[in-house]
Amino acid sequence: MTADKQSAAGQRPGAARRPIPVPDERSAPYWAAAARHVLTVARCARCRAYTIPPDQTCPHCRTTAPEFVYEPVSGRGKVRSWTVVRQSSLPGFTGGVPFVLVDVELDEQAELRMIGRLLDGPEATLRIGDRVVVAFEDVAEAVSVPAFVLGGDA
Amino acid sequence: MSTRFESSRQVAVVGYAHSAVRRHADRPLGALTVDTARAAVADSGLEPKVIDGFVGSALFPTAGAHAAEDGVSTVSAAWLAERLGGTPRYVSGFQGIGQIPGSVALAVNAIASGAADYVVLHRALHNPAGGYHANPMTEAAGPQQWTAPQGFHGPLPMIALPYNEYLQRYGASREAMAATVVEARKNGARIPHSYWYERPLTTEEYLAAPMINDPVCRFDCDIPVDGVAAFVLTSAERAGDLPHKPVFVAGYAGSAPAPRRLPLHWPLDDIMGVGAETARRLWESSGIRPADVDLPQVYDGFSPFVWFWMEVLGLCPVGEAHRFVLDGGIDSDDPGALPVLSGGGAIGNGRMHGVPQMLECYLQLAGRAGERQRERATVGVACHSSPHYGGAVVYTTEPR
Repeated sequence: MTADKQSAAGQRPGAARRPIPVPDERSAPYWAAAARHVLTVARCARCRAYTIPPDQTCPHCRTTAPEFVYEPVSGRGKVRSWTVVRQSSLPGFTGGVPFVLVDVELDEQAELRMIGRLLDGPEATLRIGDRVVVAFEDVAEAVSVPAFVLGGDA
Repeated sequence: MSTRFESSRQVAVVGYAHSAVRRHADRPLGALTVDTARAAVADSGLEPKVIDGFVGSALFPTAGAHAAEDGVSTVSAAWLAERLGGTPRYVSGFQGIGQIPGSVALAVNAIASGAADYVVLHRALHNPAGGYHANPMTEAAGPQQWTAPQGFHGPLPMIALPYNEYLQRYGASREAMAATVVEARKNGARIPHSYWYERPLTTEEYLAAPMINDPVCRFDCDIPVDGVAAFVLTSAERAGDLPHKPVFVAGYAGSAPAPRRLPLHWPLDDIMGVGAETARRLWESSGIRPADVDLPQVYDGFSPFVWFWMEVLGLCPVGEAHRFVLDGGIDSDDPGALPVLSGGGAIGNGRMHGVPQMLECYLQLAGRAGERQRERATVGVACHSSPHYGGAVVYTTEPR
């Protein structure tokens, strides 16, 4: 699912641009998959645990050679918390306030949490535990950023 | 009381100085720091030439694009050591978060080991021109690539997420946070060097403030300032020859490593779970029990930290701090209450980090709080930053 209205926010002519992710050696597969609207999570080749964000060591088995593999995940999870951002320190977002950020625990693993924009808008009624599913914002040519929308399943 | 910390009560705070706290100082931060350090040395009954230890933190805590320049936007221990005119043998900067407890630990360890005899501990905070956290980045590389592209940036959403978790989990009201913030500002309004001197906040003003990152409003945040504080520490033995009543460091603890998360992602369960371990190690280090503490000073750079610290320190049950506050439990004017914000905190003074907490412990336990002096102040706890990403120090009037 692509939310065109939300991704257009802050991209008016002359307006500041939203920060575009700069892939590096470790993160390149993640952003390449996101560009295809596929959410992946780094998985340690040694212990098979998922990690957000991937780093030099695996936080679960402590290996210094996690050889992370980005595996597609369901994109489904539950809301652990949220905030309505009405003032942003990033100029690229100041034209797009208010917007909602959700702290989401993905279904794949306990405490596997990521933060994304909730594209249902600032008036959405939220409760802890609400189900969400990943969506993508196309923010530049071949660059998409994971976000969430309410729903998915029970 | 037993402690496994061999340096417990072997080192004391013997004097201090604090600059005026302003939005923008009329003098360079470095010069203000040298003057404040000299004043602290004089307050301790000492000459600069005997100062042989310098510790502090030079963190410039902004998410913005400002460059940190030593002596201008921050002041390191080394910068001050070069200029104070002492005889430095030990100069060290604390690298982590929980900068004031971390710096106290450096001072205590240096003095107890004999690496230094008289240590100046300072903290210089700066408010740069422009937005404190404003960052014009258009590309997000490194750790920020995981957060900034979706607009998760800076400390406002950082604290808003766990605060909202708390509200949803425990049903806390906005009135309870109003009472918390009003208490900090009430006490800060009584401190002449505070930015908020003689400017308390009313409950109505708090409740009328619009949200900036729900459920955070601007009164939940400390205000960025220019300000400097300095303390002098020495051994318990040497402290006996100095003019002021010494206040002993009973123990300290820095937070254990927290679970790896996205940058600035601080879930409530991380704060409370790792924070409980911080508190356990604090009591173990100091040989103090929560019930012994009559002057807890909790950190409040963002107001929800007040509740989180109260709960991890065991001053009230987990999930109950908001009710405890609403019931008048932290009213500094009630002799039977726990005055957790009697020093005004960061909300009542300005963004002085953990300085107001340390200063209040020192002033009250040394009997130097003037009109604000409490009848009973024997054991203080000064907290800084988050329970899971910070630290705390226990102070006592009792020598070993």
